[in-house]
Amino acid sequence: MIPLTWDIVSHGLAESGRFLAIAVTGVVILEGLAYIVLHRLLKYKYALPAMLIIPAFVAVMALIIYPFGFNMYLAFSNMSMYRFKEFSVGLSYGLQNFLDVFRHPVLQNVTFFQLLWRTVCWTTVNVFFHVLGGLFLAILLNRPMRGKAVYRTLLVVPWAIPQVIAALAWKGEFHYQYGFANIMLQRLGLAPIRWLSDPRWAFIAVILVNIWLGIPFMMVIILGGLQSISSEYYDAAQIDGASGWQQFRSVTMPLLQPVLTPAVILGIVWTFNNFNVIYLITKGGPMEGTDILVTSLYKAVFEFYRYGFGAAYAAVIFIILLVFAAIYLRVTGGFKGAWE
Amino acid sequence: MKRAIASSLLVLLLLVLIVPVGYAAEKKITFTIWTKESEAQGVLQEIVKLASDFAKSRPGLTFEVINYGVEDLRQNFQSAAFAGTGPDLLWTVSDHAGPFVAMKIIKPVDDLFGKDYLGGFARPGLEAVELDGKTWGVPISVGNHLMLMYNKKLIKTPPQNTDELIKIGKELTRDLNKDGKPDQYGLVYNLNEPFFFAPWLGGFGGWPLDGTKPTLGTQAMVDALQFVHDLKYVHKIVPLECDYDGADALFKEGKAAMLINGDWALAGYQTDEVKKKVDFAVARIPMVAKTGRWPSPMTSGIYFMLPEYLSGEKLEIAKEFVKYCTSSEVQLMFTKKYKRLPALASALNSPLVSADPILKGSADQMVVGKPMPTVSEMRAAWDAMRPNQEAVMADKMSAKDAATAMQNACEKLIREMAK
Repeated sequence: MIPLTWDIVSHGLAESGRFLAIAVTGVVILEGLAYIVLHRLLKYKYALPAMLIIPAFVAVMALIIYPFGFNMYLAFSNMSMYRFKEFSVGLSYGLQNFLDVFRHPVLQNVTFFQLLWRTVCWTTVNVFFHVLGGLFLAILLNRPMRGKAVYRTLLVVPWAIPQVIAALAWKGEFHYQYGFANIMLQRLGLAPIRWLSDPRWAFIAVILVNIWLGIPFMMVIILGGLQSISSEYYDAAQIDGASGWQQFRSVTMPLLQPVLTPAVILGIVWTFNNFNVIYLITKGGPMEGTDILVTSLYKAVFEFYRYGFGAAYAAVIFIILLVFAAIYLRVTGGFKGAWE
Repeated sequence: MKRAIASSLLVLLLLVLIVPVGYAAEKKITFTIWTKESEAQGVLQEIVKLASDFAKSRPGLTFEVINYGVEDLRQNFQSAAFAGTGPDLLWTVSDHAGPFVAMKIIKPVDDLFGKDYLGGFARPGLEAVELDGKTWGVPISVGNHLMLMYNKKLIKTPPQNTDELIKIGKELTRDLNKDGKPDQYGLVYNLNEPFFFAPWLGGFGGWPLDGTKPTLGTQAMVDALQFVHDLKYVHKIVPLECDYDGADALFKEGKAAMLINGDWALAGYQTDEVKKKVDFAVARIPMVAKTGRWPSPMTSGIYFMLPEYLSGEKLEIAKEFVKYCTSSEVQLMFTKKYKRLPALASALNSPLVSADPILKGSADQMVVGKPMPTVSEMRAAWDAMRPNQEAVMADKMSAKDAATAMQNACEKLIREMAK
């Protein structure tokens, strides 16, 4: 191990300090200019709100809008390993890139539609169990009990462990001979499973790991939602003679929806784009059997150097998620409260 | 209006304060090295030490040594170089040269270092980074090759050919606790990784590429795939599932008689902890009985590569630092401490190498190795081999079908890369 000396610490602090100083100076200059231009010179009525928004606006432009625009620019290019710096941009390249996403296998054998179907299965199964598990645990925790804080802390552990460590630890647990999963199966009198060399079982293995990782997030969010529901609603329901199930269906679920909707959307987007778990455990293998859209995108760009194609492919994945989020919001009316 | 002037003055004042601070900071030079060496084997710490020793005589110069995994280093450097920025020097493997040259993001070193200086390195080391008639890296160490490692506590004499390997392997694959499953194996290695399959392919007379043309759909490939398949399903001398870490752990635990691994791991099997269970020795991977050929692991090495954008004072520092690290003294230090074969011809012939049985065994294996193709098409070959090799090792595809699929996939990938 490289020892942690004062030199290293001070160097680290100086680096962070320098970055902060640049950021603060940038904001001060920006706000100063905005004040002079908007308030003093133009006498703009909404100068203050504009000044408050400007730093966030600049950050969003730099971190989201510009990279997105650059991705679209690359999607219309022929950038590849041999044309890394001297690539050309044109409509025909863009058309070819977008068509290539759908007409040829994205990887060696797997096509876009196979990957899309697999990604939808991966996302649906994961999010379903995240919500179900999270809801179940949150309801259990949302009642008076001894040692609640201890349980809550223990249940959050999978979320608190860095994903890389958790995924690599789980990879070991799926080892054919020495892994926990097969040892347990054998103790139950069942045959061991080749978790990591059979594509079907490998896919189940990565799903199991991701379910384990995702439940605590949902549990925390749902628990927050449950605690905000006033007990008066339940009292009223009990007076009306509602059963536990009826209370859950007619009081808990509707009142949880404003919390659950964004959590589910986030869960879907994260799971749909979850790269770490699959890549760390199986690298998309064996036989491309656990690749989903985002891991195949990574391979196309960083292993096959297809930058133009990769940018078009990324845009297609973005559009799928955007359309999904729009439909989901419309159907559930989840953000209604935010508009009204 | 007064306020506006005051505010403008304040902004100006801030700028006046910032500019000299930035200027003063610029006077100091921070030289950044990206290396694939990690802390685990102590090499990263060694590089940090080398850098700080080098910087002592140069006031104002500080080094920043950053470690990335081999693949991360490649990807991050590509992204950084695209933006025209990034590290000042790379300490990495030879197979990165192919894509970096195709992308025009590293410099040739012939003119920078001169013929006389480069002529001091062993030829195979330089060959691994020669492309388009130019040399694209300065060798640090040569080899990076696989070899047979064995535990003398379990096996006295290593097998000479594959028939012996299978025979000895069967004897040493044992169910020690009588639970119906073996807990000691004859042979372990990273079964699904194409790099670990390459020696066998060479032993059966094949190779992934002929120049830039894929040669994966050959009888040699079929035979080699069938051979590794049979080691698992017919002879049963390797575990049903075995990746790099699994093989490494089984060998260190004394639960595997033989291991195929690379020279980078040599030092790790000679620690006091491992010595309790493993009496370590090295030999050639046994000759393929069917062909009478030695398996040919891919040889390459570790190299300094200079980013294309490097110029001025930093380029001079890079040249001096490279010369400092490739001096005979430093090379032999790496050989002694980390069992790496030096790249300098004079150091390679030193008694330090010939007198050490492990290094001698490693050098002996390297003699029958073949340089890893540096061309960028090799990337396509790796990616074409992997899923089909996995399919054979999962007993889901015949060796013949897999060889054909590899060839087709490789041709397709090369076409797409060049599109």
